Amino acid sequence: MVKFTADELRRIMDYKHNIRNMSVIAHVDHGKSTLTDSLVAAAGIIAQEVAGDVRMTDTRADEAERGITIKSTGISLYYEMTDEALKSYKGERKGNEYLINLIDSPGHVDFSSEVTAALRITDGALVVVDCVEGVCVQTETVLRQALGERIRPVLTVNKMDRCFLELQVDGEEAYQTFQRVIENANVIMATYEDPLLGDVQVYPEKGTVAFSAGLHGWAFTLTNFAKMYASKFGVDEGKMMERLWGENFFDPATKKWTSKNTGSPTCKRGFVQFCYEPIKQIINICMNDQKGKLWPMLQKLGVTMKSEEKDLMGKALMKRVMQTWLPASSALLEMMIFHLPSPGTAQKYRVENLYEGPLDDIYANAIRNCDPEGPLMLYVSKMIPASDKGRFFAFGRVFAGKVSTGLKVRIMGPNYVPGEKKDLYVKSVQRTVIWMGKKQETVEDVPCGNTVALVGLDQYITKNATLTNEKEVDAHPIRAMKFSVSPVVRVAVQCKVASDLPKLVEGLKRLAKSDPMVVCSIEESGEHIIAGAGELHLEICLKDLQDDFMGGAEIIKSDPVVSFRETVLEKSSRTVMSKSPNKHNRLYMEARPLEEGLAEAIDDGRIGPRDDPKVRSKILSEEFGWDKDLAKKIWCFGPETTGPNMVVDMCKGVQYLNEIKDSVVAGFQWASKEGALCEENMRGICFEVCDVVLHADAIHRGGGQVIPTARRVIYASQLTAKPRLLEPVYLVEIQAPEQALGGIYSVLNQKRGHVFEEIQRPGTPLYNIKAYLPVIESFGFSSTLRAATSGQAFPQCVFDHWDMMSSDPLEAGSQAAQLVTDIRKRKGLKEQMTPLSEFEDKL
Amino acid sequence: MDFESDYEIARTAEFLLSRNFTRVALQFPDELLKDSTRVVRALRDQLRSLRKCGAEQNGGNKDVRLFVMADTTYGSCCVDEVGALHVNAECVVHYGHTCLSPTTTLPAFFVIGKAPVSIPNCIESLSSYALTNDKRILVLYGLEYAYSIKHIREALVEASKLSESKSKLEVCFADVSCSVMNSSDDHRSSTGLVEPAGVCTDDNTYGMAPDNRYKIGGLIWTLPEGHKMEDYLLFWIGSDNPEFAIVVLTFNCCDIVRYNPKENRLVTDVSQQKRILKRRYYLVEKAKDANIVGILVGTLGVAGYLHMIHQMKDLITGAGKKVYTLVVGRPNPAKLANFPECDVFIYVSCAQTALLDSKEYLAPVITPFEAMLAFNRGSQWTGAYVMEFRDLINSSLVEVKESEEARFSFLSGGYVEDVDLQGKEIDKEDKGTLALANAMEKVLQLRDNPNSLKKSRARSGPEYFAARSYQGLDMHYDNSLPEPYLVGRSGRASGYEDEKK
Repeated sequence: MVKFTADELRRIMDYKHNIRNMSVIAHVDHGKSTLTDSLVAAAGIIAQEVAGDVRMTDTRADEAERGITIKSTGISLYYEMTDEALKSYKGERKGNEYLINLIDSPGHVDFSSEVTAALRITDGALVVVDCVEGVCVQTETVLRQALGERIRPVLTVNKMDRCFLELQVDGEEAYQTFQRVIENANVIMATYEDPLLGDVQVYPEKGTVAFSAGLHGWAFTLTNFAKMYASKFGVDEGKMMERLWGENFFDPATKKWTSKNTGSPTCKRGFVQFCYEPIKQIINICMNDQKGKLWPMLQKLGVTMKSEEKDLMGKALMKRVMQTWLPASSALLEMMIFHLPSPGTAQKYRVENLYEGPLDDIYANAIRNCDPEGPLMLYVSKMIPASDKGRFFAFGRVFAGKVSTGLKVRIMGPNYVPGEKKDLYVKSVQRTVIWMGKKQETVEDVPCGNTVALVGLDQYITKNATLTNEKEVDAHPIRAMKFSVSPVVRVAVQCKVASDLPKLVEGLKRLAKSDPMVVCSIEESGEHIIAGAGELHLEICLKDLQDDFMGGAEIIKSDPVVSFRETVLEKSSRTVMSKSPNKHNRLYMEARPLEEGLAEAIDDGRIGPRDDPKVRSKILSEEFGWDKDLAKKIWCFGPETTGPNMVVDMCKGVQYLNEIKDSVVAGFQWASKEGALCEENMRGICFEVCDVVLHADAIHRGGGQVIPTARRVIYASQLTAKPRLLEPVYLVEIQAPEQALGGIYSVLNQKRGHVFEEIQRPGTPLYNIKAYLPVIESFGFSSTLRAATSGQAFPQCVFDHWDMMSSDPLEAGSQAAQLVTDIRKRKGLKEQMTPLSEFEDKL
Repeated sequence: MDFESDYEIARTAEFLLSRNFTRVALQFPDELLKDSTRVVRALRDQLRSLRKCGAEQNGGNKDVRLFVMADTTYGSCCVDEVGALHVNAECVVHYGHTCLSPTTTLPAFFVIGKAPVSIPNCIESLSSYALTNDKRILVLYGLEYAYSIKHIREALVEASKLSESKSKLEVCFADVSCSVMNSSDDHRSSTGLVEPAGVCTDDNTYGMAPDNRYKIGGLIWTLPEGHKMEDYLLFWIGSDNPEFAIVVLTFNCCDIVRYNPKENRLVTDVSQQKRILKRRYYLVEKAKDANIVGILVGTLGVAGYLHMIHQMKDLITGAGKKVYTLVVGRPNPAKLANFPECDVFIYVSCAQTALLDSKEYLAPVITPFEAMLAFNRGSQWTGAYVMEFRDLINSSLVEVKESEEARFSFLSGGYVEDVDLQGKEIDKEDKGTLALANAMEKVLQLRDNPNSLKKSRARSGPEYFAARSYQGLDMHYDNSLPEPYLVGRSGRASGYEDEKK
């Protein structure tokens, strides 16, 4: 009973003004997937009756089982508007047919990388908020992410049915709740002022807020009601809409609108009077099976029911009636069509965020104009496992030009540098596919502005890539996505049977592809490591690895491992010196901690090796109090030349210093990657080269002499500067009722966490708690918390910062010393740290 | 132990006389060097007395000249042929620990020495260990314990006869392959096994299928037909040395225990050695990402080393990487750090010195076998490990069908380009008139970001140097007049003559 064919869809793809690419984003359990279902139902892919129960976009067995979305899933919908409905539409359009490329995304914070991938290829976002729980942590996170990508949001206040059935709140109270939800969302959006994007806040009276009940498949915007009443009151629709929200009151007794409650018992707010109450009435009638009352009312509303539907009872009847009266699909789809930008509109302002190259070259222009005749610019944002095991679809968005079956494309990977051959492949597309829920349809080509899945490129793309035509050798790639979470939790995996190793290797390769965030790497000790954003994320990854990517071969996983960082607390107690192996060269160094915030600035890329030295010294002197001249003497950053540690030259008048710079830098890169304590990365250490004595002959101060010496003197200066361990810390947000607070506090205390914010949600008995929790203590935190609060508290953990552990790792028996020993043991190093005397030499 | 039997003076003298050698090099490792004069004296006396009786039989005979060699260039376990050839020696007598790697030109005689072992104690641990398992046991040992194996085996047979209940005990012993080695020119005629082959099982038979013959280091053994190595428990008598590490790596699927003769106890925990295998695996993965490879020549004696070096060169250039061959003697971190442009080193040497734990090195050092895994596209690590490179020569690894897929690097967690495969295609376009212009462009690009060492990994030595911040002294060419002639310094680095005051 599919109401449309792939051909039809393909036809509309050419009308770039009639396309809407949008993602559905929200906090976990606010009803994204369920709401998406009702939209899909409208397109005729699934039956209206089951909409809300199928969760069409949860295609995986474990998604269905857990009731959460894990992967973002795309779906293309066809929607035809009536002329009448489009009457007030001012934008460009071509015909009444619309194509909506919708992507349902997960709400759990562990999977927010999926949201990032979804946002990249869409232009608008439907933000779903539970009307009772309100704007939650993840709502805020994803909303910020969307706005950062210049994605225009519309809002839907979901789970309206809870107001009517579960909570039975009266109209005014409900209005206040909704108002607060919208205000909270607007507070976040208001911080993103963007002249190009315009005002991104949402207003019910402008039709950018919908009210929905995903489970029951109904929704409305004020437009629906305004249309209904406009003729009755003889005012125009726009005017009516304004009256239906805000401080507009109507007294049916006097038939007068006022801007204040007159105090008369019949005087009610417009929204309550004309929207909330009628719905409440209908629902109550249905629930009580007062069919005698129902039919005339429906007739008045112009709702006709099929005869077999009239036999339904109670909830089923209510659902059916509401679906017919206020179908979710038309309310939401119309809202999207009216208020979300078409690719043509959106790409005009998004091009700046998207394109890495000069904004006036042909590629930038093609993206800006969404030009199907221009050069191909396609961004692959994620890889989707295909039905034949081991292969993947490359899923992405065409920003300019057309991609077609058989086309030879240039694949620019994330490490591609224009003009070089690194991370660059030329391959042909085997098939172009569009997604229609659970099944895919092959089409000849896909023009710009649409989402597409490509077959045959998966052996060259790990996670994301930019595709252009074979000939476009001077195109720059599209900017890489920035994730809000980072993979801080790691497990080591190995196969039970040693000869399964090739299977494991192959499996890890596929796992790395299937998820935008997961990192599969190998440790110095030879263990394969999977790193994910959180416990749940890892659990899903391991399950995928074993079941899907390794064909069930058994794997053994270690306990979760957290990586630490090594830093220093103070300046080195003295200048340390190391001699080169031939004893003819001496390096003198001191270590000191970097100024607060500087390591973060380096992480964010505000300060880095590629900066203009003038800009860098300005930031360093103004924000971090550095001496202007000193700022010019930074030799390098590390590890990996960009890390948050540096070497600064403090020498005065030393001969041959420039000759050994490269060698010292090489030694520093090496040492900062493997610190002296337990070979973890260093963080936030500044090494000052105080003095250097070199042999007069170049041959005796070569790399062989200086590189190992630089490494040793760096270790020595680290060990004399009160070395400390940094541990990763989660920001935990918990929403729970008051009676659960005791349990939350006790669990947090027990896990070394501390609460720094506790706010009661206005108008609800719910509390919002923010706390810091060491990542290492977070394993099993969710389940402990659930047990301690009888399931009322649900935490969301995001990596926040590195926290210094106060205990001294050099002091035997301290907590940090124990940790160091454990890490060394795990890495197969000598359990005893190498003593300072091994690194420092005496004159 | 007395000196004469320890150094097998009589046997050595007999061997030298039987072959009519006149110039003989005696190679001592550092720790035995102190005994060298005594050995030479004893040997000379022995030779003289032997020749006396020999001369009576068959007339005049030339004097045998003995030379002592020490401080071997590479590992002291290998025969230093080059050193011996300096004195035109006809034969090398090698003392002390040896890897028994085949020699290229000279015959060699090995005096391995004898380390004390408590036989009853060893048997007790062996039989008590055997009882805890129902697998068969294969006994391997360090060569310095070879002399005691005969006694152990006899004692074990005795013991099993005494207690009938334990007759299920099945123990195989490995044999020492030879103590005399002819050069590989006239190979395959290696004389005399020290001891006749023997298998101590109940039925006392063993199959002779050639694929059941195993050889590792100086040990050789044959398994009964139909048995695989995985069916055996390995019992190692000896210390925790490279020899043992090789056994653990090669038979990584077998359970291994070690009997420590020095402390008379059984060491069942060999996880440290198992870790080595994983660590090697990591190094292979790391090597896959390398662009510039250095081949370290670690032997000039082991037969086939030149062939191996050529094979490695072909392999690496075939994989589209740049290769440099380096001869640095015994490698150490400081020496190798003089070549910071190399991302990985391949150490071509005898098996026992090849396993360098390169933790202290700037770039990892791997063995030729690991290099084959790393640079042969599509080859996979299946757990098998080959240590000695003569086994590697001509051995083609299991080739997995050449897939089109780009190479996945576990170090960076994503696909990485393979310069070669990509490069070939695109380079073709560069040929012709534009080639120079393109090359210029690249040079300019490299200069753009000179302030980091490893940002964009160089693909050859010159590229690496071009990216360095220090480009050498500033040459001032304005002055075209010839510089005056100056006398340089003389003396040694620790203090030149003009510095001494």
